[in-house]
Amino acid sequence: MVQVRDHVGIKMTIPLEIRGLHFSYEKRGPSIIDGIDLAAGKGGITSILGLSGCGKSTLCYCMCGIIPHIYEGILSGEVLIFGKPASRMRLPLIFTRVGIVFQDPDTQLFSPTVEDEIAFGPENLCLDRLEIGQRIDECLKITGMSRYRLAHPEKLSGGQKQLIAIASVLALRPEIMIFDESLSQIDSEGKARIKDTILELRDRKKTIIMVEHDLENLAIADRVFFMEKGRLREIDKNRKGDAIGLFRGR
Amino acid sequence: MIQHVYVLLFFLIISIVLSALFYGSLLKTIKALRRLWYVFIVMVIIQSIFNRAGSPLFSVWGFTVLTDAGLIKGSEFLLRISVIIFSASIAASSDHREVVQGLVQLKIPYEIAFMVSVGIRFLPLLRSEFVDVMTAIQLRGVDIEKIPFKKRLKIYSYIFTPIMAGAIKKARDLSTAMEARAFRAYPERTSYLVLKLVPKDYIVMVITLVFTAAVFILYYVFGFPGRIL
Amino acid sequence: MQLAFLEADKVSFAYDGMDEVISGLDLSIGGRGFTAIMGPNGSGKTTIGKLMMGILKPSSGRVFIDGDDTRTLSLGQAGSKIGYLFQNPQFQIFSQNVMDELVFIPRLKGGDESSLKRKAIRLIRLLHLEDKKDMPVFNLSYGEKQRLAIAGILACGPRYLILDEPTTGLDMVRKDMLISILKKLLDEGMGMTVITHDRRFVNNFSGRLLNMREGRIAETVI
Repeated sequence: MVQVRDHVGIKMTIPLEIRGLHFSYEKRGPSIIDGIDLAAGKGGITSILGLSGCGKSTLCYCMCGIIPHIYEGILSGEVLIFGKPASRMRLPLIFTRVGIVFQDPDTQLFSPTVEDEIAFGPENLCLDRLEIGQRIDECLKITGMSRYRLAHPEKLSGGQKQLIAIASVLALRPEIMIFDESLSQIDSEGKARIKDTILELRDRKKTIIMVEHDLENLAIADRVFFMEKGRLREIDKNRKGDAIGLFRGR
Repeated sequence: MIQHVYVLLFFLIISIVLSALFYGSLLKTIKALRRLWYVFIVMVIIQSIFNRAGSPLFSVWGFTVLTDAGLIKGSEFLLRISVIIFSASIAASSDHREVVQGLVQLKIPYEIAFMVSVGIRFLPLLRSEFVDVMTAIQLRGVDIEKIPFKKRLKIYSYIFTPIMAGAIKKARDLSTAMEARAFRAYPERTSYLVLKLVPKDYIVMVITLVFTAAVFILYYVFGFPGRIL
Repeated sequence: MQLAFLEADKVSFAYDGMDEVISGLDLSIGGRGFTAIMGPNGSGKTTIGKLMMGILKPSSGRVFIDGDDTRTLSLGQAGSKIGYLFQNPQFQIFSQNVMDELVFIPRLKGGDESSLKRKAIRLIRLLHLEDKKDMPVFNLSYGEKQRLAIAGILACGPRYLILDEPTTGLDMVRKDMLISILKKLLDEGMGMTVITHDRRFVNNFSGRLLNMREGRIAETVI
């Protein structure tokens, strides 16, 4: 377990740490992830940029345990969630620590009302009804969707659907939130509202990882990495030109 | 002969009243029934032609197309179907979360109940995807009706591919999303929504049972309505 | 009065049981050159695209494609004049194999095998799909699927394209690729209307820009 001292000298555990990660889907297949080290601290937004197909989503799946628990492959190295290796944790436990929001709002929502959707996670955890009710209220407030409590998810706009997806994931109270290209199918108004919610989460000291192919979404990040050939390289977020150059292959 | 129609009309009125009482959406049901009128006409004609009893009302070139018996039988058919549809509208009025919860509270394992719920939820989506694929392929100049039957089968396989691919992807994404919210973490799960059986429900169940029993007794023991009317 | 290639005459449209999305729209789009239709979500721009294509028929008013009223045209007839790219390429790819996708429909209409293959290869080159030529469609990325869908549409020989939000989900490099492909098509005489919310993408072209707001249009030149 790696311990980090903050400026007051109190020992803390790094929320998410990746050490020497290598991954390929097949034995003789290409290395999608070819040696990644990363440490993400509390209350920060880490952005990972890259072209389509560079393996960003695969990295997301490794960070929340979907790899290796749901999708299989050849994995070496470690992903540590609050110091514990993800490969050895039970999946439901992982998801009370790490939440992930995917790209397509339509395949994340499946309940008849927003309330049911948000209740889904806590119901799976066998929480009592009072607790579930409180979490629903809380998550609706954070995402600013309290008015839509009894709405039908299929009738909402793309941006609103993603906000409900975020609320549903937050209902499990994870400390780490991963956004896997969650903004790419949303219009500009929806994007703005989702970014506001992400900033709100940062203010609440959540550890946030945003994976993107759109440079526009860089602005709210604290640290930016570029992913290429299975590796990460940190770049200066204020130098957009550098990022564009990397995208275009210089 | 007319008596059956009166009896059916009586049942239809009851089912409409019950449907309204139990929040079946009347307007939607009536709209759905409107599409049946041509079936009614076909039924009337078929009954007229194949039913020997009855005096002809309308003939074309000496061939009887419409008889009074046919008209009555056709009407009976329409009324029967209407009774069934209005009754079904009561069941269709619950949203699918309630249906699932009902199943769960009847002690059906929740994975199965969820499969039912997801099926209900995604069926309209699959249907609209099917429409999109059909539109897309027709836009390429493929007019399904004009293609000879043998070639048509091949075309269907081309339509099948994107729909299958879409369905598989959806299933995979959906199951991942559900697992990412701890689905099946434990053998049990709690439910925020609880369906309670209130006294009103018990009363309805009892009345229905009594009514059904009464109908059976009246028919088999007393031969009503066949003999008496 | 000479009708433009795409003509809308006092068109109004409402989806079943909902308020009018488009009211009293008049529109003339010529068969060549680039036209962009932009507007916020819900402004009705996708609806206009579908009305112009004849996928939707107007509640009132008329839409003409090359002089024919869309109400009298079948989808197949409309499709022979205009190619329509849906937002999701998934539902527009019908085969499991790249080559077959470009050949199976022209083959239905007759024509000899070798010329069909030649045309297919030309399209594969135009759409930068050479190294994916023998791959199963299943393994293609989103951008590649979109390009395959475009190739499939072009294989049917339309003179005009309508593209519905083609930039969604594309990264910078793929967007550049799309821009160069569309420019090449424009050079070859193809006309096109792109429905999009991406101003930066539109700025790469010169032509007409139609801005939609609450069912009405304001025009500028780009």
